[in-house]
Amino acid sequence: MNELIEKLLEAVEFGKIDQKSPYPPQLRGMDGSHELTHQALEAGVNPQEILEEALIPAMGRVGKKFSENKIFVPQMLMSAKAMGASMVQLKPFFASGAIKSKGTFIIGTVKGDLHDIGKNLVSMMVEGGGWTIVDLGVDVGSERFVEALKNNPGAVVGLSALLTTTMVNMGEIVAGIRASVPDTKVLIGGAPVNADFCKSIGADFYAPDPQKAVEYLNKLAS
Amino acid sequence: MKQHTIRLHPLGKEILVNDQTPLIDSLHEYGIEFPCGGNGTCGKCRVRLLDGNIPLSESHRRKLEQFQLTPDWRLACMSRCTESVTLQADQFEHLILADESDFDFLPEIGYGVAVDLGTTTLVAQLVDLRSGKIFAVETLLNPQVRFGADLISRIQAGLNGHATEMTEMIRSAIGQMIERMIKECERIPDKVVLVGNTVMQRIFSGLDLTPLSCYPFQVENSGIVTYSTSMLNWCFEVSKSIQFYPSIGSFVGSDILAGIAATGLHRNEKYTALIDLGTNGEIVVGNRDRIICASTAAGPAFEGSCLSVGMRAVTGAISSLRLVENKMVSSVIGNVAPKGICGSALIDAVAILRKQEKIGLFGEILSGEEEIHLIGNIRLTQRDLYEFLLAKAAIAAGIILLASQLSIDPSEISETYIAGGFGNYLHTEHLLSTGMVETTPEKLHKMGNTALIGAKMFLFGNGELAAEILAKTNHINLEGCPEFQDVYISKMMLS
Repeated sequence: MNELIEKLLEAVEFGKIDQKSPYPPQLRGMDGSHELTHQALEAGVNPQEILEEALIPAMGRVGKKFSENKIFVPQMLMSAKAMGASMVQLKPFFASGAIKSKGTFIIGTVKGDLHDIGKNLVSMMVEGGGWTIVDLGVDVGSERFVEALKNNPGAVVGLSALLTTTMVNMGEIVAGIRASVPDTKVLIGGAPVNADFCKSIGADFYAPDPQKAVEYLNKLAS
Repeated sequence: MKQHTIRLHPLGKEILVNDQTPLIDSLHEYGIEFPCGGNGTCGKCRVRLLDGNIPLSESHRRKLEQFQLTPDWRLACMSRCTESVTLQADQFEHLILADESDFDFLPEIGYGVAVDLGTTTLVAQLVDLRSGKIFAVETLLNPQVRFGADLISRIQAGLNGHATEMTEMIRSAIGQMIERMIKECERIPDKVVLVGNTVMQRIFSGLDLTPLSCYPFQVENSGIVTYSTSMLNWCFEVSKSIQFYPSIGSFVGSDILAGIAATGLHRNEKYTALIDLGTNGEIVVGNRDRIICASTAAGPAFEGSCLSVGMRAVTGAISSLRLVENKMVSSVIGNVAPKGICGSALIDAVAILRKQEKIGLFGEILSGEEEIHLIGNIRLTQRDLYEFLLAKAAIAAGIILLASQLSIDPSEISETYIAGGFGNYLHTEHLLSTGMVETTPEKLHKMGNTALIGAKMFLFGNGELAAEILAKTNHINLEGCPEFQDVYISKMMLS
């Protein structure tokens, strides 16, 4: 494998954003994903390869470690930021069609709830899985999900809630989506949610952590 | 194990304790505060021996000399029970405030009851309004805890049809506490002041909880609400008033209003912070011109409800951990076998494990195992450590965001007060080393139950003090601040 790709994979996995970033201590002073992506593109590495051989596997490792409690929110976020520093340079290639996205994922924290960290982590992990993200933010009702679906036909929807008092709104949103865009796949997640609740509101999948969301989406795309 | 009886004068309480139990373990439940947290530096927890003896160590003897106390006095924080004793608590002779000055009040005729209606614990004291002397104390676990430990689960229970039940439950529990105090000291209160967070207030008042169940978490401000004994089904007389003090905004209630009164931060030119590490972790920053507060869901980690081995600061909880010659040494409340750890020991544990390099910057267990052994059969799981980080980051980020709302740098906060149930046991150096509060040891003060202290202050006058504070205090929603996520996540790291 290309040495740059290997280095980029490591930079993203351990959250090294750029050369001057102090984190992580073991990569201090070395190039981060910002520099490495630039170098890879300069060297003529195929952008699709950067995505598939570096970013996606790196975020996959991060998601797995998070699933296993080996790392926590801050490390995952640092990795996501490192991925972002690379992704921003790949954006033009998505636009030109040189890189193919696996699909579009619409995500939002449900009506009545302002907690967005969990939602943001899922969103970053899914982006790192090669998907295009439409992030509707927090306090989102069914109308806005439906509107986003109409603008992005075939997209998958993710709903997030952190409170037992707001997760009930997921049910209304699923119903709203089913009424307007019937074939949409909806996955849900958040601390108070579980598989039984998912079933009871007629959603398609409950993701206990970001990695499981990515795995579910990838199954849909394959 | 041998047991002894502690009789508390003038409360008429009898407490049965195990041999060698530190007095701090049994007295703090009766509302006695240990302002310096048991370091023997403030002398405020002094008790007088009316009967029996408590052995004096050499360092204890020197402390008594330092505070110019006669040989019949003891500092409760340095005492262990080795025989049955009768004690008189000096603190009950007057209201105690953190800034070492007594509350300046206009004496009134009659008696008052101050009630701190906590999510987890209820505390009431009967006070002589002429002298500020405390005649009786009652504490009780909030009977609503069967509906869940945190505020959201209480709201959920309310929405699921248990609202009336919870209202009746709490009114009756508090009524019974007051009744017991009336019987004990044969004095009838003229006034009752209640303080509590917004959810507790609304449940007590029988108001709808729906507005607090989702964004924007706003309720109308009802001001001071006055009740009659018949409305509450209380079968004793209260000649003047029963009043529940108003909330500040969203979840932040009159317990924090009272806490502000207790610290006196609303009259200070310099900026002061108050952190209440209760079930609903609240943070206040302000000075005499402007005060801002917010709540965080930090409490459950410190009160143990989301930890594998967590528990409240009650008998059987490890209250503190220290390193002695590189070995972990614990104190257990009530001098019994440890059943779990409470918030203060969790903070100790994280600080010590980090110092020993057994956990990393992100609280990760460096051995790669899922659990880490503390002492005896008590272990912390990786999940427990992460729960701690979430809680500590919420507090640390809260302080930074409140300071930024006031357009000041956090370093401009001159004093920081820590209130909360396990505050008595807190090692401030450990708290500081976790980065939860970023200040220096001299500027960090433990203050015990500021809600109860403030509620007692509200007994005097007719609500002027509360009105003065409310006029300059605002609430903000931390999650609504655009920079919240970055600050919050950056504060999850240990140093």
